[in-house]
Amino acid sequence: MQFSHRTFLTRALPGAAAALAAALLLSGCSGSTGTSSNSSPVRGGTLVYATGDAEPDCLDPHVGGNYPQALLSSQYLEPLVGRTSSGKIVPRLAKSWKVSSDGKTVDFTLRSGVTFTDGTALTANVVKANIEHLQNPDTKSSTGYLAVTKVSSVEAVSTHHARFHLSSPDSALLESLAQPWNAIESAKALTRSQKENCESPVGTGPFKVTSWKNQQSVTLVRNPNYRPASASYGTGVANLSKIVWRFIPDSSTRYAALKSGEVDVIDNPQPSTVASALKGGSITAVQAPRPGSSNRLELNMSKAPFNDKRVREAFVKAAVVNPGITSLFSGTVKRSYSPLSSVEPLAYSNSSLFKTSLSKARKLLDEAGWKTGSDGIRTKDGQRLTVTLPVSTNQSIPAEQSLFEQIQASVKKVGFEVKIEPLDLSSWYSALAKNAYDAVSAPYTKIGPDVLRILYASDGTVPAPSGYFANHAQIKDASLDSVLQEASTSLNTAQRNAAVKKAQQTVLNAYAILPLYDQQNNFLVGSRVHGFRIDHAVSTPSFAAAWVNR
Amino acid sequence: MGEPLTTPVPRGGRSSAPGWRRWPVLRRLLVRLAGAVGVLWAVVTLVFFALRAVPGDPAEAIMGGPGSQASQAALDRVREEYALNRPLLVQYLLQLRRTVTGQWGDSYSLNRPVVSLIREQIGGTLLLAVLALILAWTLALLFAAWSVRSPLGARLSSGLEIAASAMPHFWLGALLIMVFSTGLGWLPAISTGSADALILPVITLAVPVAGFLGQVMRESLLNADASPFALTARAHGLSETGVLLRHTLAHAALPALSLTGWAFGSLMSGAVVVENVFARPGLGRLLMGAVLKRDMPLVTGVVLVIAIVYVLVTLIADTLEGLFLPEAAA
Repeated sequence: MQFSHRTFLTRALPGAAAALAAALLLSGCSGSTGTSSNSSPVRGGTLVYATGDAEPDCLDPHVGGNYPQALLSSQYLEPLVGRTSSGKIVPRLAKSWKVSSDGKTVDFTLRSGVTFTDGTALTANVVKANIEHLQNPDTKSSTGYLAVTKVSSVEAVSTHHARFHLSSPDSALLESLAQPWNAIESAKALTRSQKENCESPVGTGPFKVTSWKNQQSVTLVRNPNYRPASASYGTGVANLSKIVWRFIPDSSTRYAALKSGEVDVIDNPQPSTVASALKGGSITAVQAPRPGSSNRLELNMSKAPFNDKRVREAFVKAAVVNPGITSLFSGTVKRSYSPLSSVEPLAYSNSSLFKTSLSKARKLLDEAGWKTGSDGIRTKDGQRLTVTLPVSTNQSIPAEQSLFEQIQASVKKVGFEVKIEPLDLSSWYSALAKNAYDAVSAPYTKIGPDVLRILYASDGTVPAPSGYFANHAQIKDASLDSVLQEASTSLNTAQRNAAVKKAQQTVLNAYAILPLYDQQNNFLVGSRVHGFRIDHAVSTPSFAAAWVNR
Repeated sequence: MGEPLTTPVPRGGRSSAPGWRRWPVLRRLLVRLAGAVGVLWAVVTLVFFALRAVPGDPAEAIMGGPGSQASQAALDRVREEYALNRPLLVQYLLQLRRTVTGQWGDSYSLNRPVVSLIREQIGGTLLLAVLALILAWTLALLFAAWSVRSPLGARLSSGLEIAASAMPHFWLGALLIMVFSTGLGWLPAISTGSADALILPVITLAVPVAGFLGQVMRESLLNADASPFALTARAHGLSETGVLLRHTLAHAALPALSLTGWAFGSLMSGAVVVENVFARPGLGRLLMGAVLKRDMPLVTGVVLVIAIVYVLVTLIADTLEGLFLPEAAA
């Protein structure tokens, strides 16, 4: 039996210091964006990151395109532009850009002297090759390509000048290009087989991929030629010489490994462990809400009972959400009253619509013709007031599932029968595709308010070839469509902002959704780690400036 | 006699029987082999139709997992490439042919040959299962011996065995991590490649199986202990330990031996949970990911390999049992 080599003192002292730093930091700003330290950075050293997100199938986020890929690939790939915590678009590989007056041409000027880890240079032709790679069906992109659907071609005007020709104006283009799924890879590397590129994609980020052991880890080493676009993306070449990115599916194991010092940073912790870390101690909690939509229940307006606005309003008025959010999430998340995440600058909230009132709910159901039956569940024309709620056990953490149970109990008081159906991810998507749901929680991560168009435009009810559709509330409203269209194409900021607000008001007033809380990344950071930051594009961890105590 | 097969139990000699009847062990082996092929065919068939019956589109698995927003052109290409647009029966026959000819194909989600994925991961799982089996046997024998030696032991070990056999792996694993990793800091919670990282997973996997084996062994040990030959041995002045080691233990071990095939199967399935809890690479974790993604070639391959291992272990256990106790084979 081998005992831990770290004695109490060597563990406790830096721990206490980090706890103090963390306490100071957290008292300054809740929703902190990283860990800080006064001591000078140590160069070299290995950091072990343990993720609870799935192991990616392919390390090139152009292929497929899911969140686990984003988490990992933002360590070695950079997009054309970045996004700050306030939602501002800032330079990364592109140092500037200009949109033509008709909105159909966007000119990007690339930074010069940027090289990929295979030695090739960043040029306009590389950008062109990347957009074409995303658009090529052989790439099997299912996320990144959505961002470039309006790009009809990319023209390499000169070495560092790439011109995007658009089929129609796209106010969301820059925000979309900031996403990790649209990051720029070495064009030379992209010509290799997909299998090869999946195992070792080549980028310009602070680290590069050196090996991938299935089901265990991906090893990243420092990129000696990394040149950060600005101080937000590091001070130069990374301090850490190596990151071991481990896949640990079980959340209590991840936490145990962090506590025992086997790993340095974990994601997807249980709310209770985040809450205890927020109270102090050697582990620091970093909370990073994701951009895009809030976590919300979408009420299926395409069929009974939620095709009746009164029934939707009754459900919302009867659903008791706040106590569950406070207790189940141990105070780590805030209630949302908006269709958008709180990190979206244009998020519009209206809490007055969501005040609980059982009497109002009963009155609305009476008006809608739903009569209370002998078992307390209402019926109408022989139909019970049943709400089928499929829950993806891969996406909804236990606290969220318990929240649904609390909502189930509270709406039962006015005569709703909620059937919660826990399903694995494939079955869950399949239930949605078959319209076999009345309510569903389906978070959607995308930068910018354009997510509203994806989630609430009428054409979002038309299934993709795979059966997937994004408008789960199935709201079809011609005036909403035109507002969303305006938001998506308007080049006038004030006009766009007004349209975004109008769209959110329409969705909320229709009681199409019950907003719950922000979709949020949580990280727990061990006391050895300093300079841990968040890349605010889609709230992935950034180790560009991080270092570890020896 | 010229019998090539000698057995340690002399009662087993049947030199007068004609033909293959003179080879009870061999006959049994042939019957079992035929049965094994049947089992493997059933496994492939069940997996194929079960995966088609559950919701989820295999084409989506290929296109980056569930919820994919792949274009029609991309989906069509994939269906063509993987013959997913052919009638189900044709696909089934293709599957059978691929299985028999060893062309197990590439994993949909990992884009790598199923065979090489399994080759990479099987070692870890087998090591875990074999160590757990050894530990389970040891624990079961110790408990059984203890119950024979003392009435208190009998009562206690019976209770412990029932508790052990009812323990779910995920619960026991989490408990051990909480105590020995987070609490005492003695052992790593996750696989580190070092030997001490094996201790907690092996214990987690072994305890429930030890409970089952222990119940069976204790029963037969108590029976053997009260039998005339044990009395005779004692009358000849053999010590209690001597009786146990020379006579009764072998009798207790036999029923447990025949359960070893089952136990190994149970260990392989337990590995699915244990590998996830302890973040160990292995077949169990490979299988879990593959099922969630509807990765048909990978699910089929892993299940088939687990079935082959199960069949092999059962065959070996049966053969050993036949060698020790030929009348069981009759």
